[in-house]
Amino acid sequence: LSAAEMYDLGKAEHIIYGACLQCHTACNIKGKILNGVLVKIDGNPYSAMTMSPHLPYLTGPKEAAKVDGHLCPKGQAGIQSLYDPYRIVKVLKRYGKRGENKWQVVSFDQAVSEIVNGGKLFKHVPGEENRVVKGLKDIYALRDSKVAKAMAKDAAAVGKQKMTVAAFKKKYARYLDTLIDPDHPDLGPKNNRFVIQNGRIEHGRKEFSKRWQKDSFGSVNWYEHTSICEQSHHIGYNEFTRKWDKGKWGKGKHHMKPDIYNSKYILYFGTGAFEANFGPTNLARKVTQGIADGTLKIAVADPRFSKTAAKAEQWLPLKPGTDAALAYGMIRWIIDNKRYDKQYLSCANKAAANAVKETTWSNASHLVKIEKDGPGALLRASDVGLGSKEEFVAMVGGKPVAVDVHKGKAIYGDLEFDGKVKGIRVKSAFTLLTEMARSKSVAQWGVVCGIAEADIARAAKDFTSYGKQAVAELYRGPVQHTNGFYNARAVIALNVLIGNADWKGGLQAGGGHWHEDGSKNGPYNIKKLYADKMKSFGVTLTREKHKYEDSTLFSGYPAKRCWYPFSGNVYQEIIPSAAMGYPYTIDALMIHKGSPALTTPGANKNIEILQDLNKIPLLFASDIVIGETSMYADYIFPDTAIWERWGTPHATPDLLTAVSKVRQPMVQAMTEEVEVFGVKQPLGMETLLLAIAEKLGLPNHGRDGFGKGQPLERADDWFVRMAANLAKGDKPGTEVPAAGREEQAIFSKARKHLHGYAYDPKRWRKFLGDDMFLRTITVLNRGGRFEDAEHAYKGDKVHHQFKNQFNIYSEKVALARHPGTGKRFNGLPISEPVLDFHGREVKDAGYDMTLITYKDIVGGQSRTIGNYWAQGRELAENYILLNSRDARKLGLKDGSEAKILSASNPDGMWNIGHGLDRPVGGKVKVIEGVRPGVVAVSWSCGHWAYGANDVKVDGKVVKGDQRRGKGLCPNAAMRIDPALGDMCLTDPIGASSAFFGTRVKVVPV
Amino acid sequence: MSEQSVLEQMRADIQRALAKPPEQRHWAMIIDIRKCVGCHACTVACKSENKTPEGVAYRFVKDAEDGEYPNVQHFFMPNQCMQCANAPCVKACKDGSVTQGKDGVVRIDYARNTGDPKVAAACPYGVMSVDKGDYYTDGTPKREAYEDAATFEYGDKSGRKGKIGKNRKCHYCLHRVEAGMLPACVSTCIGEANYFGDLNDPKSLVAKMAREKGIYIFQADLGTKPTTKYLGADAYSCAKCHE
Repeated sequence: LSAAEMYDLGKAEHIIYGACLQCHTACNIKGKILNGVLVKIDGNPYSAMTMSPHLPYLTGPKEAAKVDGHLCPKGQAGIQSLYDPYRIVKVLKRYGKRGENKWQVVSFDQAVSEIVNGGKLFKHVPGEENRVVKGLKDIYALRDSKVAKAMAKDAAAVGKQKMTVAAFKKKYARYLDTLIDPDHPDLGPKNNRFVIQNGRIEHGRKEFSKRWQKDSFGSVNWYEHTSICEQSHHIGYNEFTRKWDKGKWGKGKHHMKPDIYNSKYILYFGTGAFEANFGPTNLARKVTQGIADGTLKIAVADPRFSKTAAKAEQWLPLKPGTDAALAYGMIRWIIDNKRYDKQYLSCANKAAANAVKETTWSNASHLVKIEKDGPGALLRASDVGLGSKEEFVAMVGGKPVAVDVHKGKAIYGDLEFDGKVKGIRVKSAFTLLTEMARSKSVAQWGVVCGIAEADIARAAKDFTSYGKQAVAELYRGPVQHTNGFYNARAVIALNVLIGNADWKGGLQAGGGHWHEDGSKNGPYNIKKLYADKMKSFGVTLTREKHKYEDSTLFSGYPAKRCWYPFSGNVYQEIIPSAAMGYPYTIDALMIHKGSPALTTPGANKNIEILQDLNKIPLLFASDIVIGETSMYADYIFPDTAIWERWGTPHATPDLLTAVSKVRQPMVQAMTEEVEVFGVKQPLGMETLLLAIAEKLGLPNHGRDGFGKGQPLERADDWFVRMAANLAKGDKPGTEVPAAGREEQAIFSKARKHLHGYAYDPKRWRKFLGDDMFLRTITVLNRGGRFEDAEHAYKGDKVHHQFKNQFNIYSEKVALARHPGTGKRFNGLPISEPVLDFHGREVKDAGYDMTLITYKDIVGGQSRTIGNYWAQGRELAENYILLNSRDARKLGLKDGSEAKILSASNPDGMWNIGHGLDRPVGGKVKVIEGVRPGVVAVSWSCGHWAYGANDVKVDGKVVKGDQRRGKGLCPNAAMRIDPALGDMCLTDPIGASSAFFGTRVKVVPV
Repeated sequence: MSEQSVLEQMRADIQRALAKPPEQRHWAMIIDIRKCVGCHACTVACKSENKTPEGVAYRFVKDAEDGEYPNVQHFFMPNQCMQCANAPCVKACKDGSVTQGKDGVVRIDYARNTGDPKVAAACPYGVMSVDKGDYYTDGTPKREAYEDAATFEYGDKSGRKGKIGKNRKCHYCLHRVEAGMLPACVSTCIGEANYFGDLNDPKSLVAKMAREKGIYIFQADLGTKPTTKYLGADAYSCAKCHE
């Protein structure tokens, strides 16, 4: 045999492309299979994520087999998450108390029947002999979609006081028993008492599961993890980019990134390119190339000397959470030295921007009304008799002019104005920003953030020395604070000052993706394929997407808990809100691919609640192992691992060309095979939801789930249709070519070890039709659809452009009030300290250090501890990182054992129930690369479950692996909001949980 | 972004080399530590490719911090077999199983190798080990099938078992290279820090990089004549990690 013949892993028939999910970046991967076993994972060379430039899309799979793309260590180690000796494959039901880790294997059918029908499910457990658990059939109270639709509208009207409660009750007298509280119809139906809390669910499953919960079961309570990740960053961008559309503020962009290959300077705020962010596999090589070539300078603002800082020309070790102060120091210097792009900022609308070769513009010159309690609404042309309500106003040469941002003629507004227009007191947004920046000198801003004036000036000068080819980038670091939203806004403002968006080397929105949901041109438009679409309604358990003032629960300030009209997926609120019963109590909670007992700041509070049968009466989990949260569940349903299943994740905006990923089974699932809707399939999250749907008689699932004659009976019914939508493209005439004979042969040979939902070509061909089936093979043979690299740029701009307005001043935010204080939020970025829900500064005297966390690239949050390859050697354990000056003061040395204490956890203990407490402690590592006064702990160790502990299954002990319990997880030391007492400090606008900024003590043990 | 990816440039270099008789090739690696981001992807990719157990790493990354707050530096330094032209391990090997190929790569013949710890100890770079037979899943409920899967090392499809008790080290993934592919550490590297190819081909990227300023030879004074070399901004940053 020649070497090429010998090496099976270089052959297309041993390869199936998929998508990773060891972190949320979800890189495109290439799985290599021998005898049905996944033996190697590499980067997919077809994708812009994993190679630059990536292979042209129509490169044959045989040639691509020889090219392995880049992949980070977590992605490489995925094999050990898949083949984890602690994977569960059958349904477990607890036979001890919650969290005691005593389990019995039960049949899938029995478990689903029990959660659907309820009853005395745990009469075998001491103390629960007579406890009757409400089943999902009782929670599924409102079943009529037409009634739901009508009630939804009127219930919202009641909240806004446009309809009385009495009128509502009269109109819906027959249905009042389906409501949580007929006196508060805006809380919605009892259906809302079933909550699905997801962690790192991603596209594909996200839409599948939302469609189940919201559009079929009729509960508004469906959540994912974003607020424990970086939600305020999303919301900061969203408010900056919200589009003005026909007199209303529409949606904005949630995420923008530098065009690194053409950037000459990037300033990273609390993130980088090499460890986490979104994500290292696609970011790192672009930065290292620029640095080695001498074309890119980077700077890092972070209390910790990150791996990215190791390559930076400037490290700004700011105090945690003071990013807005640093940004304002830079803004002040930039304004004082006139280093901003005046021409760009004066563009008041699209026509003005386009005339000076810009694709974006800002509202810097738009006028803002100054009211008694601060800046309020933007002035409308109709306010001063110059035009319509849809037009804003700018001063041009001292005279007010109406501004139609999209269609009007070019208007170049005066940047500075402070005065009256027709008697109305106004200032320009730029003047407001300037005043805010000048409220302190650069040196004074430096005192707030702990950076010397000269260093701020250097960063500001560098940032403004490369025209449009400089970017201020941010991610988790600045935003997981109570002031996270404002920090994000301040950093984004830097970009707007130089007008870098859409320019090569500037800030850009990414290449996007084809719409796998079929909503543009696909043969299967998921948004329309329903048998009977249910309308879910009511205030969400987390009060997200709802305004306190627009609810019948409004009773002045402070509200009992925060409301989050600007944000969503407020993960940390779910369990404590259910416990408080505000806005209502819940009956059942399903947790999927998330671990709120471990991964939220102050997660120890969640553990107390999860053990409380009165607060969470039914708790079931979908998980691949017995994890730190699923160990408290009543039932654990094994899930398929990501290499065994389907998905359609979206791409990071760092990629300039369109990327649509398809995750597909590489190996046959190891979970138990069950029968749902008469179809045999492996147990996984989709299977579980389908089975519950079958037992409940839920619409939109089963034989006619997608409408007459179109079944939704197993996962591939959904995902193969999604892949076909991608094959078809977003516009007529943009379908991918059909697979030829050779590609068809490779397709089937590579899948010969698969069957059923993982590979069923006859069935797929039948429902897709011959033509779409062959085109779909082209997509599946490449793990998705990828735009060729030549489409990245258009002249001196990126090809896929934002082409819209940046809101230096956010009117929507300025018009809203803080539910805890009743005070108006600020439409500008502001610099503020750590505040509790009642707006009081959290000082915690006596706790003189500040805790931060970071992610080491070898570990994810809760799910990588079984990756022995990546956790080998010194990587096996994490440390309490201290600057040598602090270590000396505290008498601690490398290797000393220490504990982290805080005002809300003065003992420094994780109370995990049943006498299994463990300290928030570990070994100290003394370094220079952290700001003195700051304690840094990385984020993936400190497990007490997930295979780290002994569990009992059917009376037999399964021994845990001590290697998995090493190190520490600092979350239990994080500050509980003193105004609430049950949840971490949280950003009231962006809803990010405060991972950073807790004042702590480090004590030897 | 260049017209052709670095990976594809190097793969083309390999194709040219494979068209020549084996004795005319000289496989070499240059590791650009300016581009190493200390992510350990190479370590894991190598473990996965070669199914090495706990205690055996063909490639690993050291790091070192230098300076005093706030003037801090942090260096990352991948380590692997240097494929020395004057290899101490070859000399120390009594059973004749460790040899140097004409292409420059130092090989281990597992059939003959007796796992002499003195051979591993002879390496001044600490990159050769003895496979003691440990499995990562020892002490867990289950040994997993991938752990005994074929490794393809030296063109042999056998799995782990025949390698237990033997000397083990990096072989530049010759089984991949000869199949026209890059070594696993090179293709996976997220910082594109590794250059691999045929040093005898002056047009190859690795030969070009070998002509750059800032080439650093680890322990050059030992006279081992390593083929694996480093490229750094200065020798200090390389030496700091190797201390």
